Amino acid sequence: MYVVRPVELADIAALEKLAAVTMPGVHTLPRTREKIAAMVERSIASFAAHVDIPSEESYLFVLECPDADGIVGTAAIFAAAGSNGTYFSFRNDVIQQVSRDLNISHSVHALTLCSELTGYSQLSSFYVGEKERDEAEAALLSRVRLMFAYLAPHRFADRFFVPLAGMTDADGGSRFWDALGRKFFQMDFLDAERTIGGARNRTLIVELMPHYPVYVPLLPGDAQAAMGQIHPSGELAFSLLTEEGFEADDYIDIFDGGPILQAHKHSLRTITGAMTRSVTAAANEPDRNREAPVRYAVAAAFEQNFRAVVVECAPLEGQQTAALPPEVLAALQVAEGDNVVCVRI
Amino acid sequence: MLVVRAIKADDLDALYYMATQVGSGMTTLKPDMKMMGDRVAIAVASFAETIPPEKRDYMFVMEDTATGRIAGVCAIKGAVGLTEPFYNYRIGTLVHSSRELDVFTRMETLYLSNDLTGSTELCSLFLHPDYRSGNNGKLLSKSRFLFIAQFPHLFTEKLIAEMRGYQEEGGRSPFYEGLGRHFFKMDFDSVDDLTAVGKKSFIAELMPRQPLYVAYLPQDAQDVIGKVHNSTAPARRLLEQEGMYFEGYVDIFDAGPVLQARVSELRAMRESGLAQIGPTTDWDAACAPEAGSEPVLVSNTVIKDFRMILSQAVPVDGAINLPEAEQKALHCHTGDSVRTLSLNVRKNPNV
Repeated sequence: MYVVRPVELADIAALEKLAAVTMPGVHTLPRTREKIAAMVERSIASFAAHVDIPSEESYLFVLECPDADGIVGTAAIFAAAGSNGTYFSFRNDVIQQVSRDLNISHSVHALTLCSELTGYSQLSSFYVGEKERDEAEAALLSRVRLMFAYLAPHRFADRFFVPLAGMTDADGGSRFWDALGRKFFQMDFLDAERTIGGARNRTLIVELMPHYPVYVPLLPGDAQAAMGQIHPSGELAFSLLTEEGFEADDYIDIFDGGPILQAHKHSLRTITGAMTRSVTAAANEPDRNREAPVRYAVAAAFEQNFRAVVVECAPLEGQQTAALPPEVLAALQVAEGDNVVCVRI
Repeated sequence: MLVVRAIKADDLDALYYMATQVGSGMTTLKPDMKMMGDRVAIAVASFAETIPPEKRDYMFVMEDTATGRIAGVCAIKGAVGLTEPFYNYRIGTLVHSSRELDVFTRMETLYLSNDLTGSTELCSLFLHPDYRSGNNGKLLSKSRFLFIAQFPHLFTEKLIAEMRGYQEEGGRSPFYEGLGRHFFKMDFDSVDDLTAVGKKSFIAELMPRQPLYVAYLPQDAQDVIGKVHNSTAPARRLLEQEGMYFEGYVDIFDAGPVLQARVSELRAMRESGLAQIGPTTDWDAACAPEAGSEPVLVSNTVIKDFRMILSQAVPVDGAINLPEAEQKALHCHTGDSVRTLSLNVRKNPNV
């Protein structure tokens, strides 16, 4: 049975292997062993921390395959984006051009450098192996972050966002970057990303990026076309997240123009639909078993050992308890009487 | 003889006829009888000094005294932007620098501004093609500087002239296509027409309020910022000879340059002088440099009936021996004062 669980120190080598296969220009995971180790340690410390106000915590989950494959997916959530700085993005503004005297009325799009996403909780580092892409486990991995936020709301902000990698060509060039950032940074897209380490909270962004709105119609056609477009590697995340309730169109990335999805927690299906149930061992309930089974993401309701699996069982909506088979209890490391968080997938 | 003189109410028909012969891009002279009639009425009141200086619009016509035909027109507006906003782009610089990355980027920007509000404006210059020869263009354009030198108290300290911006052969304005079109969604000619009927400020209100980075404009639009229309290049040189210069303001539609000067720094203010009509002594004339070789602008000193000609007479020691015909053209007599200014910039002003 696939399990999603908090990352452990023993996972570092496996993560390094995963990082080697991800795409250029798409930063799901850091590239070097030290950085991966730092990320893992930070996650372990974050789970262990007693949090009053969300700040620099970063929680990394891994998807573990039951067979020899080991770790086949990752997903992370930062408690507060831009910690130690400001999270910069471009806000998509629509400026109404109205002149009653001339009978003109139309709208013009402009991109404005903004820091509004600072302090939002940020989902990132979503990666899932080829074999699991189309399975319920992909959805489980994506959602587990929000299930954790449901269980431990004090660790997170009320709003969440997810930057998705934007369009890049085969050489790692970005048309959006060429038309915009390059004019200020005077370097290639990949060089800039390398220099800045994928961060969006560095002071040099405000030093270099445009202080005034960038009027979209003035950008070349190919740069306009790239705005809000996702890199093919982000399509799975995009569909999972929009299904979840995230909305695109309001913000885009300042470097590659990729979409930034965002939502208030009250509009996210995982958070509004999550149920806490008390665990019982699965008993033979002939009446109930006639109902069509439903697929749930089920997670142990422990902040320190937040493990989650996909379970198919009779509907839990009308129940006080969740009757789970022994192998699920084992995978979640829960016993009868413990609570679990359940969300329909 | 060609005389540049204050416009009169009965010049309206001739002026209208001439306006029908101006192409697009010249915003201040459109063949519209109503507008033109209003403008001439204001001009007549301006010379009569019955309206306050900032509302005045001094229009001059160039008349061919042989035929009575109007050969050209030009004007000075007392002050711009006092009844409706006067917009320009100011070319600015923003430096984006990061020590950490060792990147230093100098970005040119366009700021929508009303900085030139209240300035005196030279405008509406048009010379009929039949008369585009010899010194006629200079006479017409420079007549305004002599007028200002004679009546400097009527004008503000700052003088400006908007020059027609660059257009391609077919009339396409690369700057407009690269910028304005995205905000107005109409053709350059339509915008031009609206500008002419006094709706420029309405249009300007549709322009982006925030500074624009020049680097985002298409290259052909960037290239023509501050560049004049080919047909306007000679006019620009004339104004520059008189002390006007480009200081980074351009038109919001075609990016044509705005030339500026301080009235007190105009060549006409330094070099023009008064002279009395009368005989000059031989001794004086002998001392005059290269008598007869340098044309001189000569005007009377009467605002109501301002008249100016180009003469070969040489002002010497406060006197000028104007031929009878020229005195007549200026409506002057022996003993009257006239103001003179050499037409061309002297190679060495100390001579």
